[in-house]
Amino acid sequence: MDAISIENVTKSYDAVTAVSGVNLQVREGAILGLLGPNGAGKTTTIRMVMNILVPDEGTIRVLGKPVSDKTREIIGYLPEERGLYPRMQVRSLIVFLGALRGLSEAEADRRALEWLERFELSEWADKKLVDLSKGMQQKVQFITAVIHRPPLVILDEPFSGLDPVNAATVKDIMLEMRSQGSTIVLSTHRMEQVEKMCDSICLINKGRNILDGELRAIKQSYGKNTVHIEFTGPDTFLSDPAIASINRFGSGVEAKLKPGADPQQILKAAIEVGAQINRFELLEPSLNDIFIEKTAHA
Amino acid sequence: MRKIWLIVKREYITRVKTKGFVIGTLIVPLMGIFSVALVAFLVRHSEDQNVRMVIVDNAGGLAASTARSLNGAIANGKPEFTISESIERPASPDAVQQGLRARINSGALDAYLVIPGDLSQPFELHTRNPGNFALLGPLTAAVNQALIEARLRARGIHVDDVSEIARGADLQVIKVTQSGESVEKGQTLGIAIGLVILLYMSLLMYGIITMRSVLEEKTTRTMEVLISSVQPFQLLAGKIPGVAGVAFTQFLIWTVSLGLLLSYGAVMAAMFSPGSSFPAIHVPISLLIWVGFFFFGGYFLYSAMFAAIGSACSTEQDAAQLQWLAMGPLVFCMVIYSLVLNAPASTASIVLSEIPFFAPVLMPLRISIQTPPFWQEALSVVLLLLTTVGVIYASAKVYRIGVLMYGKRPTLPELVRWLRYS
Repeated sequence: MDAISIENVTKSYDAVTAVSGVNLQVREGAILGLLGPNGAGKTTTIRMVMNILVPDEGTIRVLGKPVSDKTREIIGYLPEERGLYPRMQVRSLIVFLGALRGLSEAEADRRALEWLERFELSEWADKKLVDLSKGMQQKVQFITAVIHRPPLVILDEPFSGLDPVNAATVKDIMLEMRSQGSTIVLSTHRMEQVEKMCDSICLINKGRNILDGELRAIKQSYGKNTVHIEFTGPDTFLSDPAIASINRFGSGVEAKLKPGADPQQILKAAIEVGAQINRFELLEPSLNDIFIEKTAHA
Repeated sequence: MRKIWLIVKREYITRVKTKGFVIGTLIVPLMGIFSVALVAFLVRHSEDQNVRMVIVDNAGGLAASTARSLNGAIANGKPEFTISESIERPASPDAVQQGLRARINSGALDAYLVIPGDLSQPFELHTRNPGNFALLGPLTAAVNQALIEARLRARGIHVDDVSEIARGADLQVIKVTQSGESVEKGQTLGIAIGLVILLYMSLLMYGIITMRSVLEEKTTRTMEVLISSVQPFQLLAGKIPGVAGVAFTQFLIWTVSLGLLLSYGAVMAAMFSPGSSFPAIHVPISLLIWVGFFFFGGYFLYSAMFAAIGSACSTEQDAAQLQWLAMGPLVFCMVIYSLVLNAPASTASIVLSEIPFFAPVLMPLRISIQTPPFWQEALSVVLLLLTTVGVIYASAKVYRIGVLMYGKRPTLPELVRWLRYS
């Protein structure tokens, strides 16, 4: 059974079509990265899964059941627009939301302290939310989304506003939750995070999903069409007709090959012009490249 | 049910803990104590109220009897008027008056009374403080008594003290109720007006608190988090009783403290100022029960409307415009309550007090003045309950859609359309 199944879903606001014929299956126990440029329809899709918006057409199922006010309660949800009662104490706020999500108050309190400790917020437990920094509020909100260990978690931009240390903590927690069997849907712009942790991706652009599936399979389908070269000496070989585009870094270049081109041809050309090769590696395309290619050509 | 209870608890606890609640709750009894103390203090220090006066009698023969009649005493037992001088038929009235004006301006005198030579002309009171209306009653009586005395004397009837003859009886008003009779000293009017203001203000205040509470959840985007765990209806069903609990707590503190104050006000006043009298006002328990009932009925009716309005808006400004929908009937009550006050048993009053949107203010008002027939009270209660249930049902529908709508404030036709959604 799929954790989430979206079939042919369309949603328009007045004249604007936000989502048009999106199909998506999220396998149970997987981490899915929901990608797309700004305004692609990611948040609209999530809000429809949360039954906050109702699709104009199509059906959405959560753990096999059509979305309703009931399925909403299965999902741990971190909305894109953050916000909690600003004048409540952090600890009682987490306990309140944890209790609403089915924990006993004692259990919610125990877990609240545990989570606050993990995010190094223990000394802020009795402060009002409004006294916390944006990043700290973000962490509190993350805690409230996962405190009841939901089988399905939807996180809209979970890393925004977090420093690298806290972003790493959030990432670890997500991997931990997956190992405990939770399904996670993650909407983000951070390709490197998706690349590191997602099992599958869904790329949405202009309201349509233009690419979805297992991340590994997608990358393989592109083949090893990129060469990473570090060298000293002349770089005239980079104008070889087999190279479609190049991307220069400080220490070398990443050259994307034209379909069917032979990487050996590039190596040979480099040696012929007298370049000193330090590194020559065949790579799969990065998610970033795939994203740019797919969205730029759509 | 558990979730509703959690929400009730949160609403109650977070509100009761606020500084605003503590201050608002304590200020009423403190003001009560303060005003009792103030009355006692003023009574004790009322020497200044003694009016130093000169009588200028241009007609002749009236000054002495007028002065004799000005024998009232002020609260501390001292005389109200001190007549320092009586000037009969002065040779040059203008010069005399000029002199008296100078004495008033120098502070040596408070007022002077001029009795005209021609008694068909008005008497004149020249005073620095014409706002002191309390002087006018005794002065008019004294002047009239002196006149009557003079006219009787002209007809050959000699009396030493006309007040013996002219003294009338006071009219005492006694209120008749089902449970018996009580002497009326203006307390019925006081209680009635106090009730109207109290009910109006508290219905409005708690309604707006409910509205703001909904709006806060929307503007801070807490709503999206909340509805991932609770149904909108549960949220509404927890919020309204939660705020009602706050209102109940506040009322309980107010009622008990004001009740104590009214019962022991006299004792307290005596502590501040021995020998003074403070009127004890008796508020019937049955009236308190009715008021409590209509307040909570009205609270549920109005707060459901306010909650729906809060849910339909995304900003305070939008809400400020739409809140007139709920405030309108309450304001109307304030506009027409005097109609009911003057004629509590008129057809208009009966009809108005049966209309559920006005009943929470106007029915307790009627009950406080003149107990209406039981069927009218009962009908009003039934209508109020039925309407409240209906309004809560409709509000829940608006609320369910409204809480997740952001952006433009809905128009009235849009709100009506929301009501039709299943």
